[in-house]
Amino acid sequence: MTRILGIETSCDETAAAVVDQDYHVLSSVIESSLDVHRDFGGVVPELAGRAHLTTISSVIERALVDADLDPLMPAIDAIAVTSGPGLVGSLLVGLSAAKGYALAWDLPFVGINHLEGHLFAALLDAPSMAWPVLTLLVSGGHTALVLHESPGVHQVVGETIDDAAGEAYDKVARWLGLGYPGGPVIDALASEGRATSLRLPTSMMGEGLDFSFSGLKTAVVRATEKNPEVSKADVAAAFQGAVVEQLMRKMRQALERYDVAGVAIGGGVAANSALRSAVAAIAQEYGIECHLPSRLVCTDNAAMIAAAGVYRWGAFGPSEWSLPATPNWSLGSLS
Amino acid sequence: MIVRRHTLDTAATQRAGEELAGMLRGGDVVVLSGPLGAGKTTFVQGVARGLGVEDRVTSPTFTVVREHRCTTHPSIRTLHHVDLYRTNSRGEIIDLALGELVEEAGVALIEWGELAGDLFGADVLSITIRTDDDESRHFEIEGQRVSDFSSWGDA
Repeated sequence: MTRILGIETSCDETAAAVVDQDYHVLSSVIESSLDVHRDFGGVVPELAGRAHLTTISSVIERALVDADLDPLMPAIDAIAVTSGPGLVGSLLVGLSAAKGYALAWDLPFVGINHLEGHLFAALLDAPSMAWPVLTLLVSGGHTALVLHESPGVHQVVGETIDDAAGEAYDKVARWLGLGYPGGPVIDALASEGRATSLRLPTSMMGEGLDFSFSGLKTAVVRATEKNPEVSKADVAAAFQGAVVEQLMRKMRQALERYDVAGVAIGGGVAANSALRSAVAAIAQEYGIECHLPSRLVCTDNAAMIAAAGVYRWGAFGPSEWSLPATPNWSLGSLS
Repeated sequence: MIVRRHTLDTAATQRAGEELAGMLRGGDVVVLSGPLGAGKTTFVQGVARGLGVEDRVTSPTFTVVREHRCTTHPSIRTLHHVDLYRTNSRGEIIDLALGELVEEAGVALIEWGELAGDLFGADVLSITIRTDDDESRHFEIEGQRVSDFSSWGDA
């Protein structure tokens, strides 16, 4: 049996996991430095790098032990590691660790695009899913619609022209004084508010599949300045309604254009309850499969990196030892 | 001396950036200040267009720095688009070694750079954006070389 160790350190989670060639997760360990960042209202790049450095070895060891492997000489076949995109200091911790372990254990290693990892999240929950799949990838740094023909064969058909959806959540939450990360707190608050209490513009009405969230963020700032009496719960409900509305309108347009067997979501914002129920409703309407990976698999983790590694290593072989961290590595460059 | 310019909508803000691009020199550092939603990224998109950047300029908040290749400017080859929204102290900014970004063949545009202005030396151009209602914005440029930009301002 082929087993791959995955390592992920691109943002604020230090994670390691072992996955086999059939995309079964044998172990998955995620250590978050979120508490360090919460006080600051966002991920602090330098703190993130340092936090990874202190936890990376123990996280890898726990992932191996959890998979019933010898942590000193594990029976694995390759190491897959996120080499971009992300914060350069954070990426380098994982990449250097992967190279070090690969040298020590005489194993090949392969650099993985973090966003391609998110595309593999649905596959971890449903290894026998039907293809092609339209995946909505929504996180703090990225928002994209991806047409996924088969594992690893994909094409970005729409993406944000300014802010990512998760970034808009974080900035609006900070503006409202709700803390970090913005997604969960706005999601919870929105359920207590009325979306109709604040009028927000509906952006990106055109036929294209690209997204825009910068104008919405600005509109929230203006609207709350003008209408200070509107409660935070109502602002949260109106904002979340506008975000989900735009995401769903573009997903619907993509479904009209491309014939797919299912839809999936990935990325941290995919944990959002309003988004999950909206995607499920669209899938039902079109009569196609719906893949809503569990929260643990949607948010940053190493199992998805190992899963992408199963494909990349199998199809293209190992990476060069000189592989650098690529902070701005786009998903589109892989297709 | 302060150079001022007023823009009425998003397109005019991008045009202001595009016109500023033609006046930049290699090695320039521009610090952009203004509240959330002021239009800092919109303005940088205009500068990028003026420098012949072909790839899409999106918010660099997540990765802190994005680099774009400039294709039309005679001497500027790289636009470094920086966002310090997520940094909180001068120490962290020093750790990012942003000073190394500033080189002869590049310009750096820094959003939320108020904390960092003087780390880049004396000849930083400082652009402050104030918001009105809706899409109207007021720009102010200050800095040692500000007189070079007088034709950029409103008459």
